Amino acid sequence: MNIVYFLVQQTMFFSIPLLIVALGGMFSERSGVINIALEGTMIMGGFTGILFIHTFQDALPGQPILLLGALVAMATGVVVSLAHGYASINMKANQVISGTAINMFAPAFAIFVARMIQNVQQISFVNQFRISSVPVLGDIPVLGPLFFQNTYITTLLGLLIWGASWFVLYKTRFGLRLRACGEHPQAADSVGINVYGMRYAGVMISGALAGLGGLVFIIPTSTQFNATVSGYGFLALAVLIFGQWRPGRILMAAFFFGLMKAIASSYSGIELLRSLPIPSDVYKMIPYIATLVVLAFTSKRSMAPRAEGIPYDKGGR
Amino acid sequence: MKRKTIVALALTFLMALSLVACGTPASSSAPASTPAGSSTPESTPASTPESTPESTGGADGYEIALITDIGTIDDKSFNQGAWEGVVQYAEENNITHKYYQPTEKTDDAYLAGIDLAVEGGAKIIVTPGYLFEVPIFIAQETYPDVTFILIDGSPHNADYSEFLTADNTVGITYAEEQAGYLAGYAAVKDGNTKLGFMGGMAVPAVVRFGYGYIQGADAAAQEMGLGAGSITMNYYYTGDFVATPEIQTMSASWYDNDGVEVIFGCGGAVGNSVMAAAQASDKKVIGVDVDQSGESPTVITSAMKELAISVYDTLTNYYAGSFPGGQNLIFSAENDGVGLPWGSSKFETFTQADYDAIYAKLADGSITIVKDTDADGNEVKVEDVPTTAVVVTNLNA
Repeated sequence: MNIVYFLVQQTMFFSIPLLIVALGGMFSERSGVINIALEGTMIMGGFTGILFIHTFQDALPGQPILLLGALVAMATGVVVSLAHGYASINMKANQVISGTAINMFAPAFAIFVARMIQNVQQISFVNQFRISSVPVLGDIPVLGPLFFQNTYITTLLGLLIWGASWFVLYKTRFGLRLRACGEHPQAADSVGINVYGMRYAGVMISGALAGLGGLVFIIPTSTQFNATVSGYGFLALAVLIFGQWRPGRILMAAFFFGLMKAIASSYSGIELLRSLPIPSDVYKMIPYIATLVVLAFTSKRSMAPRAEGIPYDKGGR
Repeated sequence: MKRKTIVALALTFLMALSLVACGTPASSSAPASTPAGSSTPESTPASTPESTPESTGGADGYEIALITDIGTIDDKSFNQGAWEGVVQYAEENNITHKYYQPTEKTDDAYLAGIDLAVEGGAKIIVTPGYLFEVPIFIAQETYPDVTFILIDGSPHNADYSEFLTADNTVGITYAEEQAGYLAGYAAVKDGNTKLGFMGGMAVPAVVRFGYGYIQGADAAAQEMGLGAGSITMNYYYTGDFVATPEIQTMSASWYDNDGVEVIFGCGGAVGNSVMAAAQASDKKVIGVDVDQSGESPTVITSAMKELAISVYDTLTNYYAGSFPGGQNLIFSAENDGVGLPWGSSKFETFTQADYDAIYAKLADGSITIVKDTDADGNEVKVEDVPTTAVVVTNLNA
């Protein structure tokens, strides 16, 4: 049973950042703008968030500083995404190109600025955010160890964001309009919806969530930030597509992928799995093979927003 | 179609990344260094060689020059250690000194940096890092009047067909296996019975650290009269020098599910993910290359290479007229080239007397350690490392 608890706890470290970032990508893409810049935005958000925590960690207590750092990361993500938005919405540039540009720019920027500020590119931080057991909830049998021990406040935040995303997308006027702009912007425009505005909103939400995801990714992973999120932005993009651009499926995809990753990385400490005559490389392949298999069966009914990737042109039909 | 193209692009990139992460890069041409807590290759500073406030100028330029490789002189690793040695000697003897940063991580940029240093009046140039092996091979012939100290490598040409250390050059490498030996010995003497080794890429330096660690642990277990199988060790190379959630989870799994008490994080930022897991599980970590105790309270000691000492000693020899030109030196316990940082180590039962005793044995050569290659240059596998008490579980197999 301890191994199950362990796997679930570790799965969270993989799944929550993937979930948050993939949801961010969803908002952008449902509004009609491809956001391949998730990786770069994560790096920028992680960079400013960790820099904030690094600077103020002696002055403020644990959880408030994490939440403030999260706000900083989100704000950074919004700023970065505005560059992408301007290029792809106003300038009608190729959305993949501007996204790629951000991906290349972000690590260089993070390294450069870190060096300018503190001479060293690694930004260290003290992890005072881990909650070994949530009061009361952590003592519940079974559920306590599963979800409320060895956890972070950001895990809860991620699940809240998921709920809010679902509600906004499906239950609000804003969500309906956002989706309309991603499916048929001309139709949306004809009934008086500001397509540019909606697309900007989608891109900015996406930037905020990706920036937050960067910070959430770094905190449990290391003791310092070194201008990389190890390709998890691209993984989140895969989760988004795997999840068919829908919050419910994205949640499942993120947890599926996270669980596979957790099993793949923790097998060597689990006597049962280690004693099996399976080479370590096979375990490393598990997440990718599983994804390929699932995609092979589900990709036939791809639900990509129809107008995605096409710059909106008022004169077009 | 467009959608598919993008997905294909993204997935291709992802696979490339994961391939890089999973590979077992054990080729002989692999760079032999573990940049502790520091630079990945992307970290190349994009600045031009420039003068710095620390330099002390003279009418005829700067006599001692240091060219940095990836990383800066305050990278808590190679460059910083070497620069500290330069500064210490130069200030004690009132000699002008300066460092140069190459514009990028290429042989040409390194050579340009050397050119600039020579033009700036350098008589002796210190180059930290294996990346300088090829540039120094070229520069030692271009500038026969200039002296070079190459740290962590020996000069050779680009395709490894020719190794030559000219009379104006000295190559310095470290006995990593002795540093690892000390760490393993100390860990077992301190009462740990379940150990872990989380290496970066399986480059020779990392492998030597790891094999030394195994044998050190074994020696301690024998001295303590522990029977076969009383010490277990998980042994793994991650294949990269970066921090990832995978390494964090693997370390956490060792700590929580397997009962591992201490992990030797031997591969730059890999150690930081191990530390993250150790903090969550309240377990211990051994650092590498430099004293990493400042990076996490979980670090009980570090298997160090004494860069500053070796640079200082070689500069002393140079100015004393006894420069060991043309040689490739190995800095080991014999000349204080490796060791544990005693002041910052957090041992419970392992005492300074124990440490001094084992260090003396390493220094006088009465302990022989199996390294990454045997006497004939054949590769030694993990399984071939002789142990009696330690049972090694090779997780790369």
